[in-house]
Amino acid sequence: MPDTLNYYQKNNSKKGLIIDRIAKNIFLSMAILSSSFIIIIAGIILVRGIIPFTTDNLGIGRVSLLRFLTGNTWLIGQTFASNLYSIGFIIASTLFITILSLLISFPVGVLTALFIAKVAPPSLAKILRTVVETLASIPSIVFGLFGAGVILKIVYDFSALIGYQSKGGNSILSVVIVLALMTIPTITTISEVAIRSVDQSIERGSLALGASKTQTNFKVVLSSAKSGIFTAAILGIGRSLGEATAVSLVAGGRRSGFSFDLLDTTSTLTTIMLEGLKETTGIDYDIRFSVGLVLMVVILLTNLLLNAVKRRVGVVNVKE
Amino acid sequence: MKKISLFIMILLVGITVLACGAQTTTTAVTFDESKSINVYTRDTTSGTRTGFMEGIGFASAATSDSVLVQGFIIKDNTGILSTLAIDEYGIGYVSLSSVNDSVKGLNFNGVEPTEVNVINDTYGLKRPFMYMLRQDGDYPNDTVEAIVKAFVAFLSSSDGGDIINNSGAIALPSTQTWDQIKSSHTVCTQNNAAITVRFGGSDSIQKVAQALTAAFMPKCGNFIAEHDHTGSSDAYKRTNDPAIKDTAVGKDVGFSSRFFRDAELNVNSSLRGQLAWDAIVAIVHVNNPLNNVTAADLKAIYEGSYLTWAALLSK
Repeated sequence: MPDTLNYYQKNNSKKGLIIDRIAKNIFLSMAILSSSFIIIIAGIILVRGIIPFTTDNLGIGRVSLLRFLTGNTWLIGQTFASNLYSIGFIIASTLFITILSLLISFPVGVLTALFIAKVAPPSLAKILRTVVETLASIPSIVFGLFGAGVILKIVYDFSALIGYQSKGGNSILSVVIVLALMTIPTITTISEVAIRSVDQSIERGSLALGASKTQTNFKVVLSSAKSGIFTAAILGIGRSLGEATAVSLVAGGRRSGFSFDLLDTTSTLTTIMLEGLKETTGIDYDIRFSVGLVLMVVILLTNLLLNAVKRRVGVVNVKE
Repeated sequence: MKKISLFIMILLVGITVLACGAQTTTTAVTFDESKSINVYTRDTTSGTRTGFMEGIGFASAATSDSVLVQGFIIKDNTGILSTLAIDEYGIGYVSLSSVNDSVKGLNFNGVEPTEVNVINDTYGLKRPFMYMLRQDGDYPNDTVEAIVKAFVAFLSSSDGGDIINNSGAIALPSTQTWDQIKSSHTVCTQNNAAITVRFGGSDSIQKVAQALTAAFMPKCGNFIAEHDHTGSSDAYKRTNDPAIKDTAVGKDVGFSSRFFRDAELNVNSSLRGQLAWDAIVAIVHVNNPLNNVTAADLKAIYEGSYLTWAALLSK
């Protein structure tokens, strides 16, 4: 093997070698460029985000980190004159909302993917695939407008129906529905690829052993594709955690109190950053970078956790 | 396959039933006074919130959420407007220019919120947008002074009025267009690209002021407008206070979102004036029987003294 390689290299033209080297350097510089963006962005958020905790914020006073991470009121006192910020209740509601939206979007997304990949006739599968891909590319603000215009009204009327006085439909439930709608196409697209790449021989083996089509789909196909489906869930969670615009239109801007009441108002880490961002200065501006820092940590921890789970779930004979 | 189509059928029927149920409830127009009041507000960085809270005598709520009633809902201008088209038991406030038929705008102290009533000064829930200039001859140079005078003339033209109205405020009535008066401002015919004019004062006016200068720059030799808005009291301090006006923060034009008072009134009245009104309207759902509120009512709602509609309506 080494001999053939040497033979090949010796006979390769000099020009080809130079082009190889140039190409290699171009790829390398592109890789460095894209990874340095992440470092620069994370660095700037970090530098700005720790200002409220390390300086006295032009006389207002240092923000207590423990209070910031555990408290249950966004800000006590006058804006621009108080350092009593807390986001403990917002971290809790963010995670709660993400889990709930995944509980809806995950089964719906995976079953849609299964239908497109295995059950639907090819012509229908093609149409559905296009529909789902179109849905996945719709900008979040459009989902937000749909949420504010349609879902708020439905949730408000639903609350009235069960005798609960809703705050104009602005609620955890509305946020969960909007996020579920946004993550279903992501989960469907990626799960479908995973399901389609399950080795046909496993499926045929199952059918040959006398399992029905449905049994095969659920017990063999889905469990063989679980690694890819898990990736879909991870990306879905990422989209839920990071969505700001659409959520802020239906959340209602809760400013205090841990609340897991589905029909009451809420805030997420992203909405608290977004609301007022364009009009504010000083500590009230810097603190939003701190929230961003917390959000990045939350996303990182979630991803590490999910990846650890994914490794334990393992991979079964997926076609390379 | 059969199971799946059955499942889809059940799902569709379910959605239809839900949708029908939702529609029947909206036709009910009875207003239940025992319901609690859902209080909508802008966030603490909003100039409209400052104007509203000061207008109802609850200035401490302008930048603090802690003094507000429990369970308030924070939305932006459009958000409050669209939610109050849905929420029968809510109350909120928006700038007058954005009110439409989907909600009910409340009379304030018995006066209907209309542009006419704002301009004739009978509608009370509003604040003035004022400007103040430096003393004649006290500018960095004569060109800056000439541009500032031209800018003030532009403010009172109908062109300036359109810009103000488009930015959400209400301009004072004007009869002349800029084209009719520009001949008396020859400075605008020359190239002013090297001239910087400094604007400052109230940050509530910043949006309107920036829209005005952005429109006026090309009309006046492309001078450069520098905006640094820090608060209404700086309108006087940075243009006329001897201790500050000549420092680095000095301004050529200062804006204020309240009437001038005390020492500020010593400045010659030809050097200050009003450019617009910023009017705010308290709004409720169209089914709400309420038509009129007072400043005290609104304060009681926002601080939590009135928790249900019955408390306010039976008064």
